[in-house]
Amino acid sequence: MHPILSRLRTLLWYVFALGVAGVALAWILVLTHSAEWGGALLFALPGLQLLGFILTSAYYVCRSLPFAQRKALRVVFIFSGSSLLSAFAWLSLCVLWNNLTKNLDVSWAGVALSPLFSILLFGTASLLFLVSLLAHDVLIAFENIRDGERRQAATQLLARDAELQVLRSQINPHFLFNSLNSISALTTIDAAAARSMTIELGSFFRKTLAVSERLSITLTEELELCEHFLAIEKIRFGEKLQTTIEIDQSAQAAKVPPMFLQPLIENSIKHGICNLNDGGMITLKMVTHNAQLLISVSNPMDHQPTNASGTGTGLKNLKARINNLYGERGYASWRAADNIFCVEIMIPLEFS
Amino acid sequence: MNRPLQLLIVDDEPLARQLMREYLQKHTDIQIMDECANGVAAAEAISSLEPDLILLDIHMPKLNGFEVLELTGRTKGVIFTTAYDQYALKAFDLHAVDYLLKPFSQTRFDEAIEQARALHNRSQQTIPALLAQTQLERMVVRDRGQIHIIPLAGIDYVEAHDDYICIHWDGKSILKTQSLSALEAQLDKQEFVRIHRSFIVKLSAVKSMERISKDAQVVVLYSGTKLPMSRSGYERIKPHIKQADK
Repeated sequence: MHPILSRLRTLLWYVFALGVAGVALAWILVLTHSAEWGGALLFALPGLQLLGFILTSAYYVCRSLPFAQRKALRVVFIFSGSSLLSAFAWLSLCVLWNNLTKNLDVSWAGVALSPLFSILLFGTASLLFLVSLLAHDVLIAFENIRDGERRQAATQLLARDAELQVLRSQINPHFLFNSLNSISALTTIDAAAARSMTIELGSFFRKTLAVSERLSITLTEELELCEHFLAIEKIRFGEKLQTTIEIDQSAQAAKVPPMFLQPLIENSIKHGICNLNDGGMITLKMVTHNAQLLISVSNPMDHQPTNASGTGTGLKNLKARINNLYGERGYASWRAADNIFCVEIMIPLEFS
Repeated sequence: MNRPLQLLIVDDEPLARQLMREYLQKHTDIQIMDECANGVAAAEAISSLEPDLILLDIHMPKLNGFEVLELTGRTKGVIFTTAYDQYALKAFDLHAVDYLLKPFSQTRFDEAIEQARALHNRSQQTIPALLAQTQLERMVVRDRGQIHIIPLAGIDYVEAHDDYICIHWDGKSILKTQSLSALEAQLDKQEFVRIHRSFIVKLSAVKSMERISKDAQVVVLYSGTKLPMSRSGYERIKPHIKQADK
């Protein structure tokens, strides 16, 4: 969109400014005794309006040369060329107009254009066109920046939507179908356990759906969700899976994004406990310290490389999520030492 | 009367194993030899017990079901079980490679068993085809009874030696019975490039290319190793190396 021509208000102001400039030029003509007031105005007013519209065409010259594809020499050539050309075209039209008005049967019409004055007009016009080119360039650059910002904001919004979408579909199909298979097995072995597993599964899914609608939940709510998840996994894996959960009183009401811990616990089971013949203990600790919420999840692991699916996608997602939500104020790291894998997270301590 | 069918149950979840035992109760002509809870135990049991039929879970700790088959060279008498079919299985006819999607019914289970009985001892060519199609996430090699799991990230290059391939990773090397072409088909072409009839190299291990004579070039790895490169190999690696320069 052209910055001047496409907006009526700006256009009217522009025409007005050109009129004032026209009067100024007429005044100069009168002062230099080149014409009388009537002839000067008849020459200068249309001339300046014409120049004004020629100047706005600089926008299209700039647009035709995207910043990314510019080469210095080419830009210099095109800018100076178009300036000289448009100044020449303008001056020719002005001279034509001047001669036309001279032919009118009015004594005051016509301007005596001396060669010096013509050169001056030509020079000024080409300079103005050059300035216009540069001004339009600046305008376009601003427009680009604003566009970029708008696009970035839109992208962020999209990313958030995508995140919610991801959360909703985060339920691992393996988890669902394996759980159903366990229930199927339990129906003949232990009907009561089959029933309680069905209820846990239902509660977990219900809770997941409920929290994923929200931007943040309390740590206690997230833990409840994890408890349902762990109850199911404990039925599936039996004695192999053990957990310790420690939470500071002060951390209980802290705000966290939904489904923040559950994927971490799921990973601990999938890449840690599952690979160990005798299983092991997952330790989850949540403490507050200096207006920070510190969370750590650790689990024993096999010394052999784990399942290849554990190439850290889940952890990378976690990092991206923290970065997206908290920027520099959040932090996640993980390390593996002495067959223990530990993830540590630090986010600002916030309450709703 | 035939001798009872010898069967092995492989699944990492105790309840899943119990369910299969329950479903097997009515099949009096089937004898359960053993159950395994992970891929390594399964590979060992398959080699030592040589069961007629294996109920094999695909998604397992340590080694997955496909890796177990690859290591043991087993091509027949397999019924796959899986919770979620994200694998190449989908592409195969059920009659060629049978698989049970969890949770499955007794009826579906019985059908699979019947079909396995019918196919008994007939080699299923589809299993090697299935294995050849699955993209590798890591390499598993059995060497003198020990199973090595080699992450693809650690590999520098793989060299062909007659019927073997020699995998070079982290300064070590190991032999495996496999053809280089078969391996090439299973590797990600964005990461591994066949630079020579006898060499596949991992792109991230490549430091530079050197011209040693008018029309011969070598690939230099970060480890210092120099590998020969054929003309067609050069054509294949060129676009990747250029990308790295950008």
